Amino acid sequence: MTGKQRQRLLGTVQVSLILAAIFVMLVPIAWIFLAAFKTHVDVYQLKLFFTPTLENFGTVFDDPYRLGEKLFNSTIVALVTVVIAIPIATLAAYSFSRFSLRGETLMLVIILATQFVPAVVIILPFFVMFRDIGLLDTRLGLILVNLAIVMPFAIWMIKGFIDGIPMDTEEAAMVDGSSRLQVIRNIVLPMAAPGLLTSGIFCFIIAWNEFLFALILTNKDAVTLPIGLALFKGEEGDLWNLLSAAGIIIMAPMFVLALMIRKYFVQGMTMGAVR
Amino acid sequence: MAEVHLKNLTKRWGDFIGVDDQSLHIADQEFLVLLGPSGCGKTTTMRMIAGLEDPTGGEIWIGDRMVNDDLPKNRDVAMVFQNYGLYPHMTIFDNIAYPLRVRGVAKAEIGPRVEKAAAQVELTEFLHRKPKALSGGQRQRVALARAIVRTPKVFLMDEPLSNLDAKLRVTMRAELKHLSRALKITTVYVTHDQIEAMTLADRVAVMRHGVIQQLGTPDEIYNDPANLFVAGFIGSPAMNLINGSVQDGMFVTTGGTRLVKVKAADRARAILGVRADDLTVHEAGQGDIDVTIYAFENTGESTLLTVQWGKQRVIARGDRHLRKDQDDVVGIRLNSDHLYLFDPETEQRIDV
Repeated sequence: MTGKQRQRLLGTVQVSLILAAIFVMLVPIAWIFLAAFKTHVDVYQLKLFFTPTLENFGTVFDDPYRLGEKLFNSTIVALVTVVIAIPIATLAAYSFSRFSLRGETLMLVIILATQFVPAVVIILPFFVMFRDIGLLDTRLGLILVNLAIVMPFAIWMIKGFIDGIPMDTEEAAMVDGSSRLQVIRNIVLPMAAPGLLTSGIFCFIIAWNEFLFALILTNKDAVTLPIGLALFKGEEGDLWNLLSAAGIIIMAPMFVLALMIRKYFVQGMTMGAVR
Repeated sequence: MAEVHLKNLTKRWGDFIGVDDQSLHIADQEFLVLLGPSGCGKTTTMRMIAGLEDPTGGEIWIGDRMVNDDLPKNRDVAMVFQNYGLYPHMTIFDNIAYPLRVRGVAKAEIGPRVEKAAAQVELTEFLHRKPKALSGGQRQRVALARAIVRTPKVFLMDEPLSNLDAKLRVTMRAELKHLSRALKITTVYVTHDQIEAMTLADRVAVMRHGVIQQLGTPDEIYNDPANLFVAGFIGSPAMNLINGSVQDGMFVTTGGTRLVKVKAADRARAILGVRADDLTVHEAGQGDIDVTIYAFENTGESTLLTVQWGKQRVIARGDRHLRKDQDDVVGIRLNSDHLYLFDPETEQRIDV
């Protein structure tokens, strides 16, 4: 076999593998996408040609499912989580990146270590604690929990971005007449903006998809979208068409976000700590 | 404009001594170059003047004010960094305007001042661009313009030319010199390049291991080196250092060759220093000593002959029209007016 032939063969294998991976990843999404527009009867038939209906999207917002409330809860919880997390994480990350703090490495490891504790282990203490202080089934409670989840991510990610900003640039700004806060506002924040945006989206996705804590800590008022999916169990079994419609409602914002930020996302991923 | 006084300045990191109890007085409007190999403490000294590094001990005075506890922004200095330290998210105009804006200069005044500074470094047509769209030399000019847009008490320049290619470096060096003469602002300039030091400085402070080895005009540093280190560091090619002894008023190489008369007391060990330019090349038999050529290099403006001299190799500079080849034998004569003797133990200069 000549070198060229071998190269062509390798190329073919490569493309086939990529296509296979794409197939495996996209088929479930395609299935959901189709099911969302099918009637309850059509769902169980694997036919590609059917009369599409938007009925499912109406039904999920009606009684008894009222997905609108869940959508509202999810939006508030995820948004507020990000809005609180990113500024705090930025300041923490800046300190870790630029100052030599006592016990810096230990602190960073501890922050990361919180991620290694399985949620199931601490969920019961959370439940008891939240019940006692009245945070059970509140959006505030969920926001607090989500903050605890996303904060380590955010700090580590943003630290990576700030590490990437040359010290020279900050020092130049200081000699030029800036205070430390002015340096952060005028130099660090604009330069780290793609990173902050990426981290913000990352946190939003985590909070948006968070399932386990929301499942245990809410039951009526503060139920979020992922938990809302569990509603679609009827006496006739799983209501796949409604489930799929709700699934699309959950995924849609993610798609939009991904489209909006993909340029920064790649930039952020490759320049930050999470490469 | 102001003088800078460093009084017993020290910087230590744990056991490592960066700058060791150094005092230095830089006169108003003086261009002082801190010269030395990497790790000699020159940059640390400058960063302490800028306020980017806290001294472990000693005092820093700018004008009549002790600035040890002042933040960098309150020291009224301007600094040019080795990597330029430009703000990549701002246009060139905004980069140059930043020191004015952050210090609250009136808006109406900013435009003209930025344009004047940009004109001084020939950047006028690039003001709307971002640093990314500029070449290395142009970025260097932006950094300069950002420094001269204000009239600070002191300019600090940290190896500003070392990231430029060789040709551009020579051009920028001349521009820098012209600019500094025009601006008349006290300047501290850090470099490891002895040519930059020689050409730019009013005075040079040669540093090693955190200690100033010699402080003097470029002339003094070149023609009157205080010790072995300064002698070897200044000059290109480096000064030839020949091991030997002094016997009966003659310098005798370790190989036993009685080389040249020196006005020094007899001593068992000595090092003779002689620059390549003070060794003249003659036909074999017509010099003080005959030597074999180890390598012959033609640099265009002159020729460099590395010759085997006993066990040592020595570099002599020959006429630009001289043509010799490896293994040829030539005569070398020493210019006895420019010989230096050093004590190998103390590395200090001995009067010749």
